[in-house]
Amino acid sequence: MYRFAFFTAFVLFLFTSCKQYTDYVKSDASYSYYVNEDRVQDYLGKSAEAVFKVQIPVKLIKRDNNAGPLGLQVNGFGAFDVYWDGIFVGSNGKMVKSGQPEVAGTETTYYEIPEKRGNIGLHMITIIGTQTQLREANRGIDIRLESFLRLHRSPLIVMSFMNLMAGAFLIAAIYYFFLYINSTRKETTVLVFGIICLLFFCLLIIEYVKFYVDIPYTQFYTRLQIVGLLTFAISILVPWYFMLQFDFKKKRLFLFLLFTSLIVIYITNYGHYDRTAIYFSYAMCLVSIIIAANATFRKIKGGSIVVAGLLASVVVNRYIFYDFGLFIAFTIIVLSMLYLHTIRAKAIEEAHNASLLLSSRLQLELIKKNIQPHFLRNTLTSLIDWVEESPQQGVVFIRALADEFDIMNAISEDTLIPIRQEIELCRKHLEVMSFRKEVCYDWEEKNIDENEEIPPAIIHTIIENGITHSLPPKKGCICFCLSFTKEKNYKEYTLQTIAKNRKTRKEKSNGTGFKYISARLNESYGTNWHFDSHEVEEGWMTTIKIFDKR
Amino acid sequence: MKILIIEDEARIAKRIERMTRDFFDKETGILLCDSVENGLSIIDRNSIDLLLLDLNLNGEDGFDVLQNVVARSFQTIIISAYTDKAITAFGYGVLDFVGKPFDENRLTQAFRRFTSPEKQPNGDLQFLAVKKGKTIRLVPIKDIRYIKGAGIYTELHLSDNRIELHDKSLESLEKLLPSTFERIHKSFIVCWNEADKLIVEPGGKYSMLLKNAELLPVGRSKYKEIRHKMI
Repeated sequence: MYRFAFFTAFVLFLFTSCKQYTDYVKSDASYSYYVNEDRVQDYLGKSAEAVFKVQIPVKLIKRDNNAGPLGLQVNGFGAFDVYWDGIFVGSNGKMVKSGQPEVAGTETTYYEIPEKRGNIGLHMITIIGTQTQLREANRGIDIRLESFLRLHRSPLIVMSFMNLMAGAFLIAAIYYFFLYINSTRKETTVLVFGIICLLFFCLLIIEYVKFYVDIPYTQFYTRLQIVGLLTFAISILVPWYFMLQFDFKKKRLFLFLLFTSLIVIYITNYGHYDRTAIYFSYAMCLVSIIIAANATFRKIKGGSIVVAGLLASVVVNRYIFYDFGLFIAFTIIVLSMLYLHTIRAKAIEEAHNASLLLSSRLQLELIKKNIQPHFLRNTLTSLIDWVEESPQQGVVFIRALADEFDIMNAISEDTLIPIRQEIELCRKHLEVMSFRKEVCYDWEEKNIDENEEIPPAIIHTIIENGITHSLPPKKGCICFCLSFTKEKNYKEYTLQTIAKNRKTRKEKSNGTGFKYISARLNESYGTNWHFDSHEVEEGWMTTIKIFDKR
Repeated sequence: MKILIIEDEARIAKRIERMTRDFFDKETGILLCDSVENGLSIIDRNSIDLLLLDLNLNGEDGFDVLQNVVARSFQTIIISAYTDKAITAFGYGVLDFVGKPFDENRLTQAFRRFTSPEKQPNGDLQFLAVKKGKTIRLVPIKDIRYIKGAGIYTELHLSDNRIELHDKSLESLEKLLPSTFERIHKSFIVCWNEADKLIVEPGGKYSMLLKNAELLPVGRSKYKEIRHKMI
């Protein structure tokens, strides 16, 4: 649970650092317009070439003493010169002049007001310029008075935070792309998460690129369109990621619904770029919360944390920072995704460790087959007897035993071995057992495909069982017959033991041997196998079916 | 005399049979059997004197079989690959435990234990398995006050005054019991810790007074030895 606390603390830290930011951007100049609306509109002339002139009377009411020189921010389209009380303070682009086309200015510009002129009282801002492009946008002119230093510093402060976030997401994107490229599993979630991080990085950069690149006003809407597109992509990818991570059932239906609603939002709010982006994020949040709540309901690890993160981002977006709340909200969402991802990584690591453990346990089990007392000591006792009674046969016995040990040694670390090697192992084992039990064991095989592989010692295990559960025949041999068939989507080994079965008191003999077989099959084929072992009229029948990957 | 060998490895069974035949005289009947199930039914049908049993003591029912056989009148020698289970097997009251692989000397040693009348305590006996109808009960050795011979049975007199019947003869039990038990009479074995004093009655009759005030007879031939031990 301490991790959740850490997560919360981290998010709170993010908030507090942003809280300070609002203090910085507080205005240090109070002023009022002499117009009724905030924005001056309908000033453009009839012809595109016509020069416009806008006069905005301003009353400077109060200024901080130590605020430095006064600055003027102008938001507007076109190319224009700006005058403060009739004194030229700067220009933005170049107006149309006879024979020369307009050089487009940028949307936001800053001007320094001469020290002597920035006194309290009435002033007149005059803007003279032309606007040949995007006249239909009917965008007004907006002004803001502020200390010149602050006008320049506040974007820097905003960007310091945003670039910090952007950098983090860029690194995360690169890391997750590398992870995807170099991982053997090629998990979609890793790729999707990498893409989300990259898109989010792009979104932050594009959103704030206006502060350090002078975008001509003619391209003003291009940036907003890119932002809209990025938000659209993110709004699809984030819920998709949650669906993948939480193994959500109705993926297609919900993705389709989300996609349609995003399209509807785009169409109905065409032209209102900020509003579209906000609605996109609402849709994304809603779908994500549904998915995460569903996951919480299904008690999937991390579900509750994602729900908490999403709700936090809703709150932040709605009540705390209106202007860039969207980005904070996105960051929280991505953070909760990152957290989710680490949970998943941990689960994968644990599963990997467990499988390693299982593999080494199976290796051990395989080696133990030949050194467990029941096998080794009984074999040695028989061996002593053979050596004492007929040394020559004893030597043959020792050879067979040495060969069985050799094969066991050779295969002990493999998870799959050639079928021929397995058959050799079985035949050697039968040879050893025939010395011990003084029973004749026959081996037959049908249709063996030499190129096939099989987990080590599983047929060997079936044979061990067969030897234990068969009565020694009055005359003749106990026969083991292995046959192989390959069908369209599976292959099958059948081992038939032809002998009379012993009567067992209890149905308990299927113990460790069968556990070993299923563990080995699991290790190599996952769930794509079927094992069956039952009594038949002639003796015993065991089948192993291995399906092609489903 | 009848000896039963339960061993599922043909070669080893033959080896045991050969060595048994070499040790005992010609009249000894040797029965061979390759599974515990068949072996138990042979035991029910024949009265045997010695069982040589290969028991997979790692299996879950190994000890069920063990309890079942040690409760009978015959002595049991285990011949097993699971040498680490020897102590447990002794705890249940087997005469000897021969680990595989074994040679003739080791098996002969086990047979000597069976044939020699002397007590050869191994000190590990923990329980005596008592058959009651179809079930087997384990009686802890420390609960036994004394054992009284009663024909082909023996009576185990326990510290809570209960009496249990055991199938083994007093002679057989004497071989199994730890050194804290002493044969004081042809029909009595007493636990040394329960003995209080030795009483000489008029007419040359000797008795032993137990701590619970019971009086047991002491054999004339045993008297000297016991008096020596008590002092």
